[in-house]
Amino acid sequence: MNSFMNRRDFLTYQLKGLLWIGVSGIVWPARGLAADIPDIAVATGGTPEAETRAVIEMLGGIGAFVKNGDRVLIKPNMSFAVPPERASNTHPKVVSTLAALCKEAGASRVMILDNPLASEERCLEASGIYDACKPIDEQMVQMVNNSALFQEIDIPGAVTLKKTDVMKDVLKADVFIAAPVAKSHSGAGVSLSMKGMMGLIYNRRIMHMLDLHTAIVDLASVLKPDLTVIDATRVLSTGGPGGPGKVLKKDTVIASRDMVAADAYAVSAFEWYGKRFKPRQVRHIREAHERKLGRMDVENLAVQTVRM
Amino acid sequence: MISFRRSIQIASLALFCILLGLAVYLPFSTSGLDFFLRLDPTLVAGTALSARVAFLSFLPAVFLILITLTAGRIFCGYICPMGTTLDGSDALARNRRVKNSLPESLGRVKYLVLIFIFFAGLLGVSLVFVASPLSLITRFYGLVVSPMVSLVLGRSLEVIQPMADQLDLRTLTYAQVHSIRFTTQFFILGFFVALAFTALWSPRFWCRYLCPSGALLALFSIKPWIRRRVSDDCTHCGACVTSCPMNAIPRDHPRQTRHQECITCLTCQQVCPVEAVRFSAHGHEVRRETHQFSPTRRQLILSGFGGAATAMVSLAGLSAPMAKSGEGLVAPPGLIRPPGALPEKDFLSRCVRCGECMAACPTNTLQPIWFNQGFMGIFSPAVIPRRGYCDPRCHQCAEVCPTRAINRITGAERIWAKIGTAVIHRQKCLAWEQQKPCMVCDEVCPYDAIQFKKQPGNPVAVPHVIENDCAGCGYCEHYCPVQNQAAIVVTAMGEIRIKQGNYEAEGRSRGLTLTLKPKSKTPYGQMPTTVDTPEGFAPGFDELSK
Repeated sequence: MNSFMNRRDFLTYQLKGLLWIGVSGIVWPARGLAADIPDIAVATGGTPEAETRAVIEMLGGIGAFVKNGDRVLIKPNMSFAVPPERASNTHPKVVSTLAALCKEAGASRVMILDNPLASEERCLEASGIYDACKPIDEQMVQMVNNSALFQEIDIPGAVTLKKTDVMKDVLKADVFIAAPVAKSHSGAGVSLSMKGMMGLIYNRRIMHMLDLHTAIVDLASVLKPDLTVIDATRVLSTGGPGGPGKVLKKDTVIASRDMVAADAYAVSAFEWYGKRFKPRQVRHIREAHERKLGRMDVENLAVQTVRM
Repeated sequence: MISFRRSIQIASLALFCILLGLAVYLPFSTSGLDFFLRLDPTLVAGTALSARVAFLSFLPAVFLILITLTAGRIFCGYICPMGTTLDGSDALARNRRVKNSLPESLGRVKYLVLIFIFFAGLLGVSLVFVASPLSLITRFYGLVVSPMVSLVLGRSLEVIQPMADQLDLRTLTYAQVHSIRFTTQFFILGFFVALAFTALWSPRFWCRYLCPSGALLALFSIKPWIRRRVSDDCTHCGACVTSCPMNAIPRDHPRQTRHQECITCLTCQQVCPVEAVRFSAHGHEVRRETHQFSPTRRQLILSGFGGAATAMVSLAGLSAPMAKSGEGLVAPPGLIRPPGALPEKDFLSRCVRCGECMAACPTNTLQPIWFNQGFMGIFSPAVIPRRGYCDPRCHQCAEVCPTRAINRITGAERIWAKIGTAVIHRQKCLAWEQQKPCMVCDEVCPYDAIQFKKQPGNPVAVPHVIENDCAGCGYCEHYCPVQNQAAIVVTAMGEIRIKQGNYEAEGRSRGLTLTLKPKSKTPYGQMPTTVDTPEGFAPGFDELSK
């Protein structure tokens, strides 16, 4: 993935990088470009929009992920008919910023899809995501639960979920971005990018009948986002996934190419139910690490944090 | 060319279908969609008798009777969607040549049907659904035709969606047709198939011989102001006699008319070779009394007795609702009525089984029942949570109910219309029995009535229903991942069934604390709402020692 950058992009990147260094006040020793790209990028203290732009920039800019003409699929959480401050859905500004970035990078089509748990209209309205994205493209936010829009796939190497029906859009997308909100989940511990993949399948109920954590890992083995952006502007620390629960105002956005690493970082970075937890205490994160879908050993990864 | 009457008929049927379609597909409540039902005199008079109520909304039927006094049974000939539908099936049966060979006396049966219904109504049992034409036809279009339409629309959409995707019409690509399915539809269909076959004997067999609304309107159509008049030019050729779809012209006296039977279809006027027939308020008319085949006193008494006896047998049935609930009441298990449904006895005396509420239900949870509540309950609506939840913000069923068998509850009071209480079957529950970390019931509950608690010896937290917070909406039962019967099931226990009064006041007096999960209106950026949870409990996380 090193041939992606032309000179202009390189210069722009450098310029923007300088800008962020200026903003953050952190001065990094002069190092090569590749070494500058962290495993996990974290931005705090800004607006949801600025934080989202910052973490993408730290990972090499949106151009590192989206090419001209690409079809992009963004999977946020928007399946609860509750407003953003309840922290059950992804912040609308995080989603719309991602969508705008993809459009800026020349994506031919950006779709923001989820399979809702409540009335589609109410979810679209209450979550604020439809309104936030409307100026970019009126048709980009859609709710999908029509069985005809799903296709059965095999999950090779699955332990428990060996087959499932996934949204055809996932199979057709050139670029796949997970954009979950950071929230607790009374069954899975946390609901982050891996758990969020359940919003892209037709029969997610079966996963509770099987072994939930293992099924999440099975699913994550085939639905692997190119980019994971976790919205921790608000963290639903208790009472998830639907809430109401304790909402922590954290003004943070986390991004990584590795969904397991992003999830693991989010687990370790915030308080859950008033306590601190290690990523390995969430079984699906631990199993994903063991099955080498990604890394949960955050302490061994390069984490770059920007305070705004 | 389509005649004037045909075009009016088609327009009327189209309007009927549009109103029904609006009830089915409109995402918000609108009143007036039940207009056609409220035109039906049997439906209105039968309900007024059985439920002892009269609403201003019944006025269309009164208005219709005034029209009938003026211009005869034009409702039957021009407006009634049942009549138009039967004209359609008559045409399909290709019975264009009218053979008026059935005995004229059959025409009295419809009066007997009417008397039957009225006498049952006098005893408080509504049998309107058996024969009220608008109840029948709304049920037919709403519960049989509408699901087929949704099926066909859905399949067509699947065919065009790949093309829409190519053309970047994404709203179409992701569009979904509201899936509608009903039970008992073959019983409804069977009735109409039988009616369609009667076309072999006569056109408009139903309207001529069976329809109680036709009978009721006939009583007001003995000598309407505008009526058929035949001039002296008549040659007694008999063309009108054989072409009359209602057999309203005496065979031997074509200049006379049985005005009760006449639906003013104007066929006789069109077929008359000498233009002797005219429908007008003035003009020549043969004065001689025509023979009216009204029923005999004995027949009337017998059918009234039959209606009353049917009502009594129904009332003596095991699951017939009693005046007061108490010991010995066998309510059908699993029968959950729509939110705001009147107390069962009043509900059944008002419900005309038109199926409008079920057709309009956006989650398709309202389904007709068959015999679970005996003969009295046939085709009445029940909530089937496995099919769909009952949205606590929706009251479409009440909005379209023509007889207010379901109380209309507006605004914040709606969430207090408790229809039952959820019960957990622990032996089926994934968390209780299989120790799997399932929490779907809690996740979907809009009332926050499920609480997960730690249970000694179980590594996962298990669900409990907080009964006073539960309105029985059925989200939990609907979404429970356990196959076949759910592990959490709504029963009618604790339902609020009041004739009048405030549902919130009633609920609070019973100690209920129903609230939807907090809906904060804090704008972005402000400190969000926080809720405390029990100390030291982190469901879904493993202990650190692992």
